[in-house]
Amino acid sequence: MSIHSSNRTRTSIIALQLIMGLACFIILGRVFYLQIIQYDIYDELGEKNSIRQEYIEPARGLIYDRNKTLLVDNQPIYSVTITPIDFDNENIPLLADLLGEPDSLINALVNEARRYSRFRTSKLLTDIDFKTFSLVQENLWRLPGIGHQIDSKRNYPTEMTGSHIFGYLREADKQDYQQSESIRLGDKIGKSGLELIYQDTLQGDLGINYLKVNALGQSLGDFPDQRNSQPPVQGDNIYTTIDAELQIFAEQLMKGKSGGVVAMNPKTGAILALVSSPEYEVRKLAGRIDKEYWQFINSDSTRPLYNRAISSRQPPGSTFKPLMGIIGLHLGIVTPKTEIYNSGYYIRGRPYKDLAEPGNYTMEDAIAHSSNTYFLHVMDKIATSGKLNTWSKLAKDFGLGIPNKIDLPSANRGILPDSTYLNQRFGKGKWGLGDILNFGIGQGLVSASPLQIAQMTSSIVNGGYKIKPHLVHAIEKADGTINYTDNFVEKIDWVQSYYLETVKNGMRRNVLEGSGQVYGSVKDIEIAGKTGTAQNPLGFSHGWYTSFAPFNDPEVVVTVFLENAGWASRSAVPIASLIIEKYLKGEISRNWIYNHVLTFEPREDNSEAELEVIENE
Amino acid sequence: MNNFRDLNWSIIFAWLVLATIGLFAIYSATQGPVAAFLPSFIKNNFAKQLAWVGLSIFLVIGFQFFTPRTYMPLSYMFYGIMLILMICTLLFGAEINGAKSWLRIGPANFQTSELMKIATILATAHYLTSRRDISAENIRYAFIAVLMILIPTALVILQNDFGTAIVFLALIPVMLFWSGLPYGVSIYIVSPALTLYLTVFDWKLGAIATIFISALIFFIQKRVWLTVTSLITGIITVIGVNIALTDILQPHQIARITAFTNPAFDPTGAGWNVIQAKTAIGSGGILGKGFLEGTQTQLRFLPEQWTDFVSCVVGEEFGFVGLGFLIITFLFLFMRLLNLAGNHKHPFAQLVTVSITAVFFIHFVINIGSATALLPVIGIPLPFVSYGGSAFLTNSLMLAICLNMDFHKRDFSIYR
Repeated sequence: MSIHSSNRTRTSIIALQLIMGLACFIILGRVFYLQIIQYDIYDELGEKNSIRQEYIEPARGLIYDRNKTLLVDNQPIYSVTITPIDFDNENIPLLADLLGEPDSLINALVNEARRYSRFRTSKLLTDIDFKTFSLVQENLWRLPGIGHQIDSKRNYPTEMTGSHIFGYLREADKQDYQQSESIRLGDKIGKSGLELIYQDTLQGDLGINYLKVNALGQSLGDFPDQRNSQPPVQGDNIYTTIDAELQIFAEQLMKGKSGGVVAMNPKTGAILALVSSPEYEVRKLAGRIDKEYWQFINSDSTRPLYNRAISSRQPPGSTFKPLMGIIGLHLGIVTPKTEIYNSGYYIRGRPYKDLAEPGNYTMEDAIAHSSNTYFLHVMDKIATSGKLNTWSKLAKDFGLGIPNKIDLPSANRGILPDSTYLNQRFGKGKWGLGDILNFGIGQGLVSASPLQIAQMTSSIVNGGYKIKPHLVHAIEKADGTINYTDNFVEKIDWVQSYYLETVKNGMRRNVLEGSGQVYGSVKDIEIAGKTGTAQNPLGFSHGWYTSFAPFNDPEVVVTVFLENAGWASRSAVPIASLIIEKYLKGEISRNWIYNHVLTFEPREDNSEAELEVIENE
Repeated sequence: MNNFRDLNWSIIFAWLVLATIGLFAIYSATQGPVAAFLPSFIKNNFAKQLAWVGLSIFLVIGFQFFTPRTYMPLSYMFYGIMLILMICTLLFGAEINGAKSWLRIGPANFQTSELMKIATILATAHYLTSRRDISAENIRYAFIAVLMILIPTALVILQNDFGTAIVFLALIPVMLFWSGLPYGVSIYIVSPALTLYLTVFDWKLGAIATIFISALIFFIQKRVWLTVTSLITGIITVIGVNIALTDILQPHQIARITAFTNPAFDPTGAGWNVIQAKTAIGSGGILGKGFLEGTQTQLRFLPEQWTDFVSCVVGEEFGFVGLGFLIITFLFLFMRLLNLAGNHKHPFAQLVTVSITAVFFIHFVINIGSATALLPVIGIPLPFVSYGGSAFLTNSLMLAICLNMDFHKRDFSIYR
């Protein structure tokens, strides 16, 4: 066979043409498959490649007081961002110089950002002042990899501290965004106070914008097809029942003290002022978090994050006596006219000291002068007639020992013992009269928060209606529609008005002739109230005072609780009377009392007839 | 001098069509909106390519004033000079994209391996056709021919240019086949490549291919020993590939193979190129997104979109119509060139034309095969379309040689 035979040549050419033709056909088929059969898949892939969703933060809802004074709004903050991959470390001194920070700090921040991601942009320094921001902006061309960003932080335009009312915002962590679909990692969300409870209301809806991006992730402006974009929806504004002026005043009075104050409208449960002291500076937790401050408030022994007005749980002491009186009348143990003799001691198994002058006491007298004997007697009868659980049930109607539904987090429900509770606590049959008797004077296991005592007082003075304490009374949508929150008011069916009149008279007389008279009475205002003391084994007693005014048609209930303050009559009473005066008159007339409160030093004074319980050891 | 009307204008036309498509694609890939993300030296690519195309037109026309008689005897010398230049490149060359295959000549970088292809084809063809009694059936002659191809192949591998090495290796079966190697043996020597390709997907496919090829060899050649050898080779290939995949290859090498068989396995790493290339082509649809409108191209999702993935630019912006036209044009060029070869009386002209066609074909298959994920990604330009001055010039020169031998067909034959 000749290799050059034309026959072989022709066959070979055909063979090669077949091979090449077949290869081209396969490739053409492949291209057909990709471009026509699989077009939909790749078209979508291609589109996804070049579109990036960008979220636009909505403005967080505003918070107002009852007079529409703006309490919380938003303020732009300026941040410097860094994309580490584009940043040259040689520029650190220049950047530090522009920012007015030491090189070492900037170096540390750059390293932190680099550890987070070399490619992603992160914030280097937030909440810098506008002048510095402008300076950096002008010099951006010298600083590749550095960018700038404007976002917002909470701003508090009034003098009001309100830390325990507003609460603070922090960046959502993994746990937060796993619980809610509307929260993303890094979103700033409410972590306490109204910001937490009304998180969903205040938050608003994220806007979505579609951006065109290249393979390097650089944004090239809006995507031409904007059909699916959504503008952000501003968060709803909330109108609180707080009276900013009163709140500021109450905060001033509580400065340097430890305790809680609640001022409430007894007819609605609307909170007018709510102070827990010591407070923390909510302003220091907005914008750039001051790490040292954050550690301080979390670890300080005074526990400034703890809301003493609603979370503390203390024996209410004598402030509980009016409610005891009402229950005693209802159960027929006493009548308004019943007189009980106080010999200086109530003896039942052991002596219980009574600091009130010896003599006969009606219920009014007993409340006015805080006689222990009267109420120990009532409790004695309740216990011995097996009505402990009835007593507990009746008292719970006044808001004690049950969760109250205030719109703030971590409100304490307090304790109002019944047999089930005592069985759990001591074991079945292992408790007796000795454990129960001092419930009658608000001691022992009975405990409540200042808010609950205010709630109890409100139900006594509003004619026997249950109320729901609340801070928010209206929510305003972005479109301007306003929804009012429901006012919950419900008559306590077993309460008769003469029960209430009797104890109210007693409370009025407490101010006129009892422990409240020096610091508690105000010219032209008929204030009524009841002091109380919770014994503190660690130091000075805790002082209580719950009061209301005007006597005939109460508009405000003020409850004050002061830790380690000694006698309530010279610590808690003046604070309450000043708040009442401020609220009803708009100004204060008794500057000496005001100064007394501001410069108050705790003192235990045994000469005053206040101590209810003395362990007879 | 022959009449220029006798020049094969249809091939010149196809050549110009491909060059034009290439210029459009390179323009889109480097001058479109994407230019904003490209460094300036890449933005110059279009202008440079335009200059190379212009120069090449003069070269192709000017080359026709030579006759094969002038350059055929010079093939060995050319081969020798090119080998020396290749070694020089290896010693003093510039490295671009990891391959040390560029020699700086004045202002331009020149890829010596491109001209080496021409030198190898001319020299090997000259050797295989120099005496009437030389046939690849004779082991001695075949061995020398293979050695003439393997020496430059080795140099190219040393330059770290794997893609070009494959082109050189592919010349071996083509040239031996044309020089008288029996059909069965020719099939046998290319069969391991096919078996290997299929085994990477599934060893069963490789096994079926082995049986099919062995049967085919038996029918064509009717030689039992060859059939058995083919079968054994096939089985060894299948087993060898499996052992290599599990035990021998390094993890990064396996990653590259996985990226080919399953790009979704590592979409942002080894699979990125394949996924983006397929997305570009697939999203083009029937008519494409329009010139300068391709999002994959213009937003810089495509790697090397002016060279290795230039077909994706065509596919994305001009759709199936555009890419299909490109493929058909190549097919037309291949068929015309093979016809030219068939019309030659002179074996040298036949062998050179067939070899050059094979070089174009291999480039075409590997380039588009890579872009459409039919083959693993092997960086190799698409002839006449991809950006690259020395490649365009050399490919044009190869075409000019084919045209020249056809143009001077008559006196060329007399010379013999």
